[in-house]
Amino acid sequence: MRSLRSRYARDNVVLVFIILNTVAVLIPLFIILGYVIVQGFNYISLDLFTKELGSPTRNMMGEPTGLVHTIIGTAVVDIMAVLISIPFGIGAGVMLSEYPDHWANPILRVLNDTLNGMPAVLKGLLAFVLVVKPMGSFSGLSGGVALAFVMFPIIARATESALMNIPWSIREAGLAIGLPRWRVILSTIIPAAKVGLVTGFLIAFARAAGEAAPLVFTSFGNNYLPVKWTGWIFGPVDTLPQRLYNLAISPYEHWHGMGWAAAIILLAVITASFAAARFFIRDKKQE
Amino acid sequence: MRFTKKMAAALVIAAAMSTAFAQKIEVIGAGASFPAPLVTAMADQYRTLTDGRVTVNYQSIGSGGGIRQFGEQTIMFGMTEAFLNDEIVEEVEKKTGGRAFNMPITLADVVVTYNVPGVKEGVVFNGEVLADIFLGKIKKWNDKNIQALNKSIKLPNLNITVVHRSDGSGTTNIWTSYLTKVSKEWADKIGYATSVNWPVGVGAKGNEGVAGVVMNTPGALGYNSYAYALLNKISYGYLINKSGNTIKPNFEATSEAANIDLPEDTRIIFTDTPAAQGYPVAGFTWMLVYENLEKNKAIKSKNEAEELIKFLIWAITDGQGLSERLGYAKLPKAAVDKNKAMIRELKWNGEEIGKKILG
Repeated sequence: MRSLRSRYARDNVVLVFIILNTVAVLIPLFIILGYVIVQGFNYISLDLFTKELGSPTRNMMGEPTGLVHTIIGTAVVDIMAVLISIPFGIGAGVMLSEYPDHWANPILRVLNDTLNGMPAVLKGLLAFVLVVKPMGSFSGLSGGVALAFVMFPIIARATESALMNIPWSIREAGLAIGLPRWRVILSTIIPAAKVGLVTGFLIAFARAAGEAAPLVFTSFGNNYLPVKWTGWIFGPVDTLPQRLYNLAISPYEHWHGMGWAAAIILLAVITASFAAARFFIRDKKQE
Repeated sequence: MRFTKKMAAALVIAAAMSTAFAQKIEVIGAGASFPAPLVTAMADQYRTLTDGRVTVNYQSIGSGGGIRQFGEQTIMFGMTEAFLNDEIVEEVEKKTGGRAFNMPITLADVVVTYNVPGVKEGVVFNGEVLADIFLGKIKKWNDKNIQALNKSIKLPNLNITVVHRSDGSGTTNIWTSYLTKVSKEWADKIGYATSVNWPVGVGAKGNEGVAGVVMNTPGALGYNSYAYALLNKISYGYLINKSGNTIKPNFEATSEAANIDLPEDTRIIFTDTPAAQGYPVAGFTWMLVYENLEKNKAIKSKNEAEELIKFLIWAITDGQGLSERLGYAKLPKAAVDKNKAMIRELKWNGEEIGKKILG
């Protein structure tokens, strides 16, 4: 047996090691956040949230230019992706966790992991073939479908592991009082696993919200607001990650600045959705 | 008499109402990144001119993407720096029963950009020297062949770092076609394409990538579109053209280079131009349009087809006024005339709507 002192010493060494590692991981994050904010802060203005982008000449001629259509477009496409992917993702997760003996599960698991590992640009092409080609035009809807492909496998995986963490005794208790299996899942298992489900959903959302590649050939991009409101769904729509990329590779200084500003908005959207979801979970717990 | 007056009044009101309720149209195009700033600026101005009735949505996805989506019929017009090859033209003819038109919309010019400490803009090059640099045969800035062209400048004993594009690019297509025309060795060993096997140098992605490496590397030499060099204030060289004149890159020299005998379909590469005052490394950027517009699935009504034609006509005429401020050369008259001839051929279900609009 070692002396107590040497155990404490070892404990401290490990503690310092862990703190150093945590700091090392966080430093790049804060450098990125800080750099984005420093670069883009001067370009945050009212116009950015109220005006359309138009062309690079707008700035040269002193006309206002902004990203209002991009911000709305991101919300529309992301919400469509969420609406499409959540039922399928949670359904697949429930299937994997609650019906482990089902014959289709091994295939489903392999397919899900394959989809998860597939490069996002291929998911964009899939949405192009499934939605854009038959409809004959680029659309916000196809962008939503492409992002849903990104979100779906992550949600399915997270749902499965969240549900697996619920002890089998709870299921047995539900079945023992005569509830059908679907009711047990819906009314006891899913509420009990809520925190895990929301976390999984958030990871999926944050991943999808930052994807530009699947949107190039689906939601396509737009420099203006759609001419009709249906254009948000059936016409080309601008999104923040894709616009950010286009602004960044342009030869215009003002567009570079707007690219940084777009990055700030994107970070803010993701952070805000994290905070909102966390708040939502906590609120329900206190009831 | 009173009847006709009433009729006229009713007609005026009806006309006013139809303009007030005129359907808003979105014209969708995509392709080359090089002309994107110009086309979006045109879109902006055209929107103002039509009181917001016509919105042109152009997205830069690269020349290859433009050709591809044009073939997939997801866009109303494509845009490319490399014209459609015969294979694609034939395929379109088989599929739609009409031609695919390549209409020049602006001019791309490629300049030699470099970074030599203490040396400003205006180092003179000729085709032979440039080919030797890109073949790796000339390695130093003070090489006697470069120095011979620049008697008044003292060039340093510095290694040349060649910078080229790593991605497929219309700019590379124009640049290598120039090297192919001026150097037999380059033509034999390498040739021209949107991407080639570079014998020497470092690759960078996009115009901005090449510019970035050039600006940060003393001794670097690369090629960029003129607009890019101008807007980023990178030093660029002057070129000796086929007629032996030293040409400083400028818009007139670029337009001059294109003022040649054009084939009917305008599919031509005119690097190493015979024009005496023409800049030797320039090429068209083309807009791609189907002859039978109704066959393009992206165009959903005759109304949309007509608005596309009207925008096209405006872009090659009044719209050219935007060019120079943005770093683009104006289309020469020969190209505008050829464009008009092609526009007259445009049809909707056999009806010659191009001719009708252009008159």
